[in-house]
Amino acid sequence: MQTSEIKYTVPKSIKKDTVFTFCPGCDHGVALRLVAEVLDELNLREKSVAIASSGCSVLLYDFLDVDCIESPHGRACAVATGVKRAHKANGSDKFVFTYQGDGDFASIGLGESLHSALRGENITAICINNTNYGMTGGQMGPTSAMGQITTTSPTGRNKEYHGFPIKTAEHIALCDGVSYSARVALYDIKNIINAKKTIKKAFEYQLEGLGFSFIEILSSCPTNWKLSPSEAHKKIENELTKTYPIKVFKDIKETPNV
Amino acid sequence: MSEKELLKGNIAIARSALAAGCSCYFGYPITPQTEIGEFLSYEMPKRKLAYVCAESEIGAINMALGASATGAKVMVSSSSCAVSLMQEALSYIASDELPVVLVNVMRAGPGQGHIYPSQGDYNQAVIGGGNGDYKTIVLAPSSVQECVDMTFRAFYLSQKYRNPVILLLDGMLGQMAEPAIIKDNPYPETDNSSWVLNGANQRPAREIRSLEPNQNKLIRHIYEMNKKYKALEANETDWEEYQTQDADFILTAFGTMARSAKAVCNYYREKGIKCGLFRPKTLYPFPFERLRELTKTTKKFIDIEMNMGQMLRDVRLSILSNVQISFIGKPVGDWLSESEMIGAIDNIIKDCYANI
Repeated sequence: MQTSEIKYTVPKSIKKDTVFTFCPGCDHGVALRLVAEVLDELNLREKSVAIASSGCSVLLYDFLDVDCIESPHGRACAVATGVKRAHKANGSDKFVFTYQGDGDFASIGLGESLHSALRGENITAICINNTNYGMTGGQMGPTSAMGQITTTSPTGRNKEYHGFPIKTAEHIALCDGVSYSARVALYDIKNIINAKKTIKKAFEYQLEGLGFSFIEILSSCPTNWKLSPSEAHKKIENELTKTYPIKVFKDIKETPNV
Repeated sequence: MSEKELLKGNIAIARSALAAGCSCYFGYPITPQTEIGEFLSYEMPKRKLAYVCAESEIGAINMALGASATGAKVMVSSSSCAVSLMQEALSYIASDELPVVLVNVMRAGPGQGHIYPSQGDYNQAVIGGGNGDYKTIVLAPSSVQECVDMTFRAFYLSQKYRNPVILLLDGMLGQMAEPAIIKDNPYPETDNSSWVLNGANQRPAREIRSLEPNQNKLIRHIYEMNKKYKALEANETDWEEYQTQDADFILTAFGTMARSAKAVCNYYREKGIKCGLFRPKTLYPFPFERLRELTKTTKKFIDIEMNMGQMLRDVRLSILSNVQISFIGKPVGDWLSESEMIGAIDNIIKDCYANI
């Protein structure tokens, strides 16, 4: 009888002997691994500059084995614009992507994010949406769902007191400069596979020079949600996807700008 | 090039930036510096250089942060209340040790103030408006020719020391035209191949970051930055002296105010009164040592500024205790004329001179 060997390999774009320091059950590790796998498959590691921002996402440079620069909180898309344009002025084309949280991309940095999308900057932005400010201990963010309990919405988010959450991928899809805008999740194998395909497509669109590509990754934050990792994934599957549907909102190849 | 031309300060800065090899400009309109961005919006695309009309000054300075990490020569220009918006990123740029040139064509403040010229941002530029232990090199031109020369120097110093440089001038100089010559870049290029971000090809990946959770590493980083500042203070401090050798009293002034002060100096010299002028050209590093030396022979100093006395603090810090320091200033735009200065100075020195 033949036995097949299961071999665990680490993507080349992840630093050697890396131990992810995220909380148990956090989806950041999965998201970063997918990014690394796609960088490997598209041979992008050597021509990439990644932009990390504030929050848990800033730890990117501890794990990814690519050139990285940190941006002030929220300004990742502006920093990416500078990196991309400066290389272009120097006659070289680099692959430039940001890795940000939802507070970073869609609250404090919404101006920089939206205008980079409107200008059609040829960069890719990845936004990890875990519906709260994770690093500071789970405060209400721009994406916290209606009714969600956080340390700054102790009785749950309500419209009278807190207003409504932002549906980032839908908003970005409205910008003419955008080539691709989609929301994915990581709560089961099927979704993880879909997420990787989506990240790959967004990266390929940048390589083709089609403009701003965007992926919102719906992610778990078990520590701050006060749930077990599997309960957190169930919450995404059963509750959050109602507010935040898993969908491609814009694909310029399918529906060109009018 | 190399011909004498009638040039406006703002245009002189924009053209000198291009001559210095600036390949990226990011900006947002604000009076009285808008001509810099307008001129470059026309010139840079023609040369396939990076020009972005940013969504805000916050966007502009962060684009500069990213662009400078590639080793490019990067310039951002703005004015007073909008430079305030850039202070967060400026602190990051200083900690990241990135070369960015920021032009502040000062208008009146505080708050929105108005578009009148002012020197009200001395403190913000020199002491620093951002958080943490960092310094920004500050150059203060007083003529259009110096706008040219100091733009070249700003790019050179920013690359050499990997530090942000502020070119600090008031709105009058930005808007004023006078003859100047733009020559070729007099400074050598700096090798930045050891730190730029251009893809981890045939070398380990690099990171440029200010976040440092390891306390010892953070402490070391700040000590290293401080060593750089000591080198700057030792090597790059620059000033102009005018008839200070035998002066009974010395005027201290920077930027355009120093031009009026020089005329005032001449006025007193013609009357046989020994007046001198001391003009810092670098506001950081400030010429503390030279000014202190002068206090050994001159016992009266009069600081003149277009603000309520900001450089005055550094003048006081320079000077030994048995020296008299007076201040003449007006906060904004309402130009301190020579006759006003003379009136005020006469009052200060009248006890010493019988013929006033």
